[in-house]
Amino acid sequence: MADTVKITIDDIEHEVPAGMNLIDAAKLCGVDIPVFCYHPKLGHDGNCRMCLVELGLPRKNRETGEMELAWFPKLETACTQKTCEGMAIRTTTERVTDARRAVLEFLLSSHPLDCPICDKGGECPLQNLTMAHGPGTSRMYWEDRMHLGKHVALGELIFLDQERCIHCARCIRFQEKIALDPVLGFDMRGRKQQIVTSSTPGFNSIFSGNTTDICPVGALTTADFRFNARPWEMVQVATICSHCPVGCNMSFDTRTDRLAGGRTTIRRVMPRQNEAVNEIWICDKGRFARHYMEHEERLTTPLVRKGGMLVEATWEEAIREVAAQLKAAGPNIGAVAGGRLSNEDLYALQKLIRGQGSGDLSAYLPNATGGEIAARFGVGVGTNLKYLGAGDAIVVVASDLHEEAPIWWLRAAAAARRGAELIVISGRETRLDVEASQSIRCAYGAEVATLNAMLGSLPKTAVKAGESLDGMAEAIVHAKEFTADAALKAAAKTIAGAGNAVIFVGSEGLTGEASRELAQASANLLAATGHVGRANNGLIIVWPSANGQGAADMGFDPGFGPGYQPVDKPGRSYGDIFAALADDVIKVLVIAGADPVYDDLTAEESIRKTKGFIVVQEMFLTETAKLADVVLPVQSAAECEGTYTSGERRVQRFYPAVEPLGESLPAWLITQRIGEVLGQGAPSVSAAVLLAEIGRNVPQYAGITCQTLAKVEEQFPDVGGEDLYYGGTSFQNVRGLGVQWPTLAEQVDAPLSVAPAQAGEVLEPADGEMIVVPVTLVYDTEALFFKTQLLHQRVPLPHIGLNPADAGRLDMVDGDLVSLTIDDHRVAAAAYLDERVPSGVVTIPRRLQTQGAPLFATTAPVVKLEKVEA
Amino acid sequence: MTHILLRELDIPDIGKMEVYLANGGYDGLKKALSDHQPDDVINIVRESGLRGRGGAGFPAGVKWSFVPKDVFPKYVCVNADESEPGTFKDRQLMENNPHQLIEGALICAYAIQASAVYIYIRGEYWDIADHLDRKIAEARKKGFIGKNILKSGWDCEVYTHRGAGAYICGEETALLESLEGKRGQPRLRPPFPASEGLYAKPTVINNVETLSNVPYILVNGADAYREIGEGDSPGTKIFCLSGCVNKPGNYELPFGGETTFRKLIFEMGGGIPDGKQIKAILPAGASAAILPATDEVLDTPIVYGAFRAWGTDIGSASVIVLDEMVDIAWAAKKMINFFSHESCGQCTPCREGTYWLSRLYKRMDSGQADAGDIQTMDAVAAQMEGKCICALGEFAVNPVRATIKHFPEDYERAVGNGRLSRR
Repeated sequence: MADTVKITIDDIEHEVPAGMNLIDAAKLCGVDIPVFCYHPKLGHDGNCRMCLVELGLPRKNRETGEMELAWFPKLETACTQKTCEGMAIRTTTERVTDARRAVLEFLLSSHPLDCPICDKGGECPLQNLTMAHGPGTSRMYWEDRMHLGKHVALGELIFLDQERCIHCARCIRFQEKIALDPVLGFDMRGRKQQIVTSSTPGFNSIFSGNTTDICPVGALTTADFRFNARPWEMVQVATICSHCPVGCNMSFDTRTDRLAGGRTTIRRVMPRQNEAVNEIWICDKGRFARHYMEHEERLTTPLVRKGGMLVEATWEEAIREVAAQLKAAGPNIGAVAGGRLSNEDLYALQKLIRGQGSGDLSAYLPNATGGEIAARFGVGVGTNLKYLGAGDAIVVVASDLHEEAPIWWLRAAAAARRGAELIVISGRETRLDVEASQSIRCAYGAEVATLNAMLGSLPKTAVKAGESLDGMAEAIVHAKEFTADAALKAAAKTIAGAGNAVIFVGSEGLTGEASRELAQASANLLAATGHVGRANNGLIIVWPSANGQGAADMGFDPGFGPGYQPVDKPGRSYGDIFAALADDVIKVLVIAGADPVYDDLTAEESIRKTKGFIVVQEMFLTETAKLADVVLPVQSAAECEGTYTSGERRVQRFYPAVEPLGESLPAWLITQRIGEVLGQGAPSVSAAVLLAEIGRNVPQYAGITCQTLAKVEEQFPDVGGEDLYYGGTSFQNVRGLGVQWPTLAEQVDAPLSVAPAQAGEVLEPADGEMIVVPVTLVYDTEALFFKTQLLHQRVPLPHIGLNPADAGRLDMVDGDLVSLTIDDHRVAAAAYLDERVPSGVVTIPRRLQTQGAPLFATTAPVVKLEKVEA
Repeated sequence: MTHILLRELDIPDIGKMEVYLANGGYDGLKKALSDHQPDDVINIVRESGLRGRGGAGFPAGVKWSFVPKDVFPKYVCVNADESEPGTFKDRQLMENNPHQLIEGALICAYAIQASAVYIYIRGEYWDIADHLDRKIAEARKKGFIGKNILKSGWDCEVYTHRGAGAYICGEETALLESLEGKRGQPRLRPPFPASEGLYAKPTVINNVETLSNVPYILVNGADAYREIGEGDSPGTKIFCLSGCVNKPGNYELPFGGETTFRKLIFEMGGGIPDGKQIKAILPAGASAAILPATDEVLDTPIVYGAFRAWGTDIGSASVIVLDEMVDIAWAAKKMINFFSHESCGQCTPCREGTYWLSRLYKRMDSGQADAGDIQTMDAVAAQMEGKCICALGEFAVNPVRATIKHFPEDYERAVGNGRLSRR
């Protein structure tokens, strides 16, 4: 911070940033001013009156004309003050301590004092501040206190104890200012004032759990933690969320549990502060979906098919069987790996398959690609969306961030509110459009053409920064073939003129090939305008899974080896792998952490048809596992250790939190044991050792070790640690902030080049035909996620989204059962009329138990929509 | 005397447009628009010394002068939320002399170059709101409201907006929140409404009675206005007289001089019923500290600040008379129950303190209180002082602390006996 001012706190002069909130400034100086309603992420509200201090400001003496310190006659709230030169406060005088005691006595007057059974007890700001500043006893008669509801459900996830509430409005303000779901408010007034939810279903926000963290008392509790454990009994284990590419830092709070036979179990999931990733927020999926990990249907022993049945087997037997099959198949093998696997799992798996001479490795879902482009033109090291604001630009293309990566949505919207230009380019309106400064609708399939047109519309001066790049001249010549309308020209100009620019590259409605071209088009635009190779600039791929970037880095991309090193012969793509499997060309297929049979009817047909051998590494007997020849039980992310690489290319480590279930093993160890039988060498001693091996063989990961990943530094604002004004203990990040690896564009004299981005064909539906676009929902029926019953009420029913105008033309109304046929598969679901779906398009949510629904944009997705007569 | 505000007492039917016009109506507005620049109007009102009649007594012209010149749009809000217990003057003004209010509001709007006037009127006054709407329509028909008012090139609209019955919405920033369609809770200050008011735009909020004074000032000049009243309290004040008095009602009297509580209560109000003795006076409803009815109090000329020595002020001058039969602790209980009911709940001391106090009074009423509870009452009220966001919480202290101070015997009597009541 550039400007500093001198302020005096309790007669000691300090130098602090100018214009900073006084509470934060005092905290920087080591002076704790107690607060309840103030929160550095929410700003001030001034309602709790806990932060009253004596305040003096310099004022010109009217008689002498000299500046002098004028003390306010009354105590003033520190949270409403911003630091300025000459400001003075007193925080320890009798008036101030009396005021603190008074406010605490008021707050406690009707408080139930049920600390012994309160979830917040032990990490409660009210408890702590009462110990520090409060009266020892209350003068209020016990029977005079107000009695209110103790278990008020604000929804099925969050419960309100009205008696504990101190009306600080942090939850209301979080929903209004941060989550942008203003579904909470106050009802009634005076002492009867209560928090209520105004939405149906109750507390309808995917960020609701955060309110329980910032609640300074035990008023808001989560359905799965309330009355479940005491904070001091729990051990915080650092972890990384495994649900989306944001890579939120979280903590599994664990405790041994009598009901679980003395096993250590996860009692709750808390956000762990990482200001560059998730700040202090996580979405409800990250917080609540963990229950699948302890589901009773978890696989605990290997299963081997005998006589047509999957029966329990020993590890030795299962591994010997798999190794024998792999050996027999030679190079005619392949692997499909889900992005829930760690870098170590993925590295080991590709090493096994490549070791046998095959390069048929596909990431799952395979529709998002372009990892190698992110490796060159991704966001620079040190990128923090928090620093984007006025003068900067964020582009989101072909992605519904709210559903695909909630925390990115939250942070992009926050940047827009700070003044950043937010440009949303997509086939349909999404929730982000509301926050966008420019909403650009393009036909599905025309995303590359749109970005090309934007690049082509820029004058020579605007693309000067990238002109020296190999291939840029050709890329621009190519881009000039596309015509830009006024909106695109304006958007291009915004990006070119932005101080910083970030593009989120999604894959909604795109095939794997098209999403690679989209990443290329984005890279071209950013490189041409000088928005690559430095912090807060570059592209971010919105992978459909947590470790999509890591999977690409480890070589789960037919065109590349680990670290995007060239391969002699490209492997098969996802579609080709299953086609080859169906034709018995591929004789052994390893499917790890993926459930294609549930998602993709084509994959199911291939697996049913093949004579080949199917090996599945999975936690549950998924639809895919049911068809496998060998099922190998893997540990959940809570049971093993490893690393994920976020969409921002931040490698982050998660730690084992609980004992493994049954005989389950880490996926990498299973793979390496198979490799050992095949003569590929003994397994690593640990995931950490394997990470070191990755560092030696994957250039980008050079130098990334457990030690570097575990490094922490002081973060601002400090919301964990010794004091507990702002949140629970789990906020503090003591186990590592991760390491963002540098892009090629950041390296001096690196061989950097771009290439023209080839626009795909835009499908033109004939009269009565529709384009099918699979869309992602945050809550779906994906095999693992859906094992968590807690969130079932939030999962929508299967539906097919279409424009009301189309529905009218087809004589359909909302809720009608409608059907369509894609690649011989019939899909039927209720029609959901949605004006945001463009005319001529039907959207089908992925993984929503919609039988036959397409998982990916198919190559011939033009279909007829029909009403199913009852 | 001739009335400045309650003119219907001199001129029946002053509420009718033609009668109002025939008696100099809208001359103030005409004069302002034709003879004065907006800043001149502010200066005239500042020179007149007109002080806000809503309670705080802040000089109106000074308030107007705080409005920045270069930010648009600007607004005028008329605080017609009249909800202080014992206050019923604005109602009479709006019912009987509505055009004077409309004219005053328009002059204010012209002075600050506002584009709209919002009359925020309490929900229970729905009939008066309808009445005002008709009067506004009449004024619009005459060209006093709307586009290019009196061919001056200045546009201004006047709207009424009904509240929903919360006392707190009479607090000017809570009023703004309510007017914006939000929950009626006071805002933190700064920023003050003059710089960021309605819809975060510069806004002047004045009481009905304050603005009703403005046409007189424009027509007759600041000096003429200063001749009425006394010192820094120029003009007249409407006293809302109620309680133990023979002739309750609104009485318009000039500040200072012969205007004393004795004159108000015993001459105008016809004294105390049934030959009882006067015991105490609530000079401004529930909000200002109670005054024991000593000769000194009764004979003090009433100006702003006259009762500062007693720790109270005349506020909106809703004078409630209490006679010897009134148990002051009972009166305090009713007042604290009112504040407890009306506290918005935003800030801790007010929300918790008023509730706590109401429970202590209940305890006293039921005979369970001991002598220590009187001290607790005083201490609880004392620790609310100076810590609240708005004046409601600060005022809620008064009925407790002042009554304990001046009438301790009424409290002591209740200890162990209870049954607070008007005997």
